[in-house]
Amino acid sequence: MRRRVFLGLLAVYFGLPLLAALLYSVATRWTDTPLPDGYTLAHWTGVFAKPDVMAALGRSLVLSAVVVVIEIVLVVPAAYWSVVHNPRIGSIVQTISVIPFAIPWVVVGAGLQLVTKSVAPELFGTFWLLAAATAAIAFPFMYRAVESSLLAAGAVRLSEAAATCGAGPAATLIRVILPAIRGGVVSGALLVIATAMNEFALAKILTGVSYETLPLWSARQFVSRTLGDPNALAVVTIFTFGLLFALSALVVWLGRGRVSASMATAPVQKGITP
Amino acid sequence: MSHVVLDRITKRYAGHTALNGVSVSVEQGEMLALLGPSGCGKTTLLRCIAGLTGFDGGRLTIGGADMAGVPVRKRPIGMVFQSYALFPNLTVRGNVAFPLTVRKRPKEEVRARVDEMLDLVGLDHLGDRLPNQLSGGQQQRVALARALSPRPEVLLLDEPLSALDAQVRHRLRDEVRRIQHQVGITTVFVTHDQAEALAISDRVAVMNAGDIEQCGPPAEIYTAPSTRFAAGFVGNRNTLELDAVDGRVTAGGAFDVEAPAPRVLCMFRPEDVELAKDGPGARAVVDVTVFLGATTRVYAQAGPSVIFADLPSRAAAGLSPGDEVRLRVAADHVQVFPA
Repeated sequence: MRRRVFLGLLAVYFGLPLLAALLYSVATRWTDTPLPDGYTLAHWTGVFAKPDVMAALGRSLVLSAVVVVIEIVLVVPAAYWSVVHNPRIGSIVQTISVIPFAIPWVVVGAGLQLVTKSVAPELFGTFWLLAAATAAIAFPFMYRAVESSLLAAGAVRLSEAAATCGAGPAATLIRVILPAIRGGVVSGALLVIATAMNEFALAKILTGVSYETLPLWSARQFVSRTLGDPNALAVVTIFTFGLLFALSALVVWLGRGRVSASMATAPVQKGITP
Repeated sequence: MSHVVLDRITKRYAGHTALNGVSVSVEQGEMLALLGPSGCGKTTLLRCIAGLTGFDGGRLTIGGADMAGVPVRKRPIGMVFQSYALFPNLTVRGNVAFPLTVRKRPKEEVRARVDEMLDLVGLDHLGDRLPNQLSGGQQQRVALARALSPRPEVLLLDEPLSALDAQVRHRLRDEVRRIQHQVGITTVFVTHDQAEALAISDRVAVMNAGDIEQCGPPAEIYTAPSTRFAAGFVGNRNTLELDAVDGRVTAGGAFDVEAPAPRVLCMFRPEDVELAKDGPGARAVVDVTVFLGATTRVYAQAGPSVIFADLPSRAAAGLSPGDEVRLRVAADHVQVFPA
């Protein structure tokens, strides 16, 4: 009984702001009354007709796609190598993978800014720096998902079997290992996309207005209340929430029934959620 | 020239020696069993032949070619693992074809060879199944077909039957022997099950603590173990530790053999024990009888020790717990080692 009350209160605590945002996104006018004066879908149709919203959404999607490609190309072979050939790398990577959780992303961004300024100034403020930085903070999600599915699939034994069949390292990875860990790669990729779509601090510090992602656009609406469109902000908030919720649900659905391949259930949300 | 030659193979891990200068050779078409308890180094030795584990000293040749520096994938071997290790995303046909497709063989040849292999292991009707749709025995047949499909020179079997239940294990054991004979492939077979090793191999190497204790045909290993370990490990023997009197041990009249030391271990197999109502022999009292079908195992208390004897069930029918009997073992069936 107490458990139910507690969970109920928790649901109200988390649900009320979302409900308010949802109502605001379909409200005609909502000022000092408990409920809006009237309802309309005009904000929803209006937002996705706005060029700046669509551009920001596009930038966020491009960023997510590039980051996912970077993760797959870099992290999957690294995880494979550490699980199958050199477990000692594993403990190092495990330690490194805690860093994005231990250090605030604002600090990561500020640090990167200082370093690039002195080491590679031509990278400063570019999309590629943002993509690399986002890949760096999102990699634990991919690494853990891939590592656990490698272990669950028995990658060591499969690699040995492939070698006795005459397969080299590349053929083993592409023809035997990747198909066996497909679920883990997809789960990891979804978590990475969710992180990249939602990331605010790095984008704010590293690129700012020169590459305005959806979270940056939302923050701008919020700060410049007079210029911005609060109803549009509510629409984007609900839209982003829905998208990330769907991705998370997909991850859970993909990982169902596989206890040993338990996907990283660490929180996806970090930084500033508009 | 033997087909596979292992010459003083040594393997050390931090702190202990897994293989202590092991030398053994396998003839063309022969099946050698590596038999021993877990941790004796038998699997390490097999993995050294495959190249999955490196060794620190010694020399390995297959077909006269030195295998030093030859990676696993270039060795002329096929291997079957205890855990099957089938590729889960490939069908049965895909698995068996894999060693051929990575070698980029023509499609027609691959198809013909896969058909031939599936026919050999009796799975021609299951070619389109995925591994997780097969029973353990069927999966191991697929693994065998996959190992044989590229026509390797040497087949390596790492406890291939130990994950299976008893009935399937016995059937597949005989099947492995049939297939090995039919293909005529040189085979090294690792097992901890003495019955398995004795049943299907041409020679058995009994391993203990990183060494081969004895290597010979199954009948020799079974009847004439040359070391105390081999005698204890193979044949499920009675073991008595006894003192010699005037250079001989008698075990209360059960047997009379020469003693090489003042205190000795006498070992004898349960089927060599004779129990009779009277006549010569050591006095014993029947403790328990266990009916095993064709034979009955009789436990008898003789002085301080319990001896077990396997008698034909007809002969044991008259014995019941508490009966007093005479127990004897023919002297040439008793192995004696210094204690």
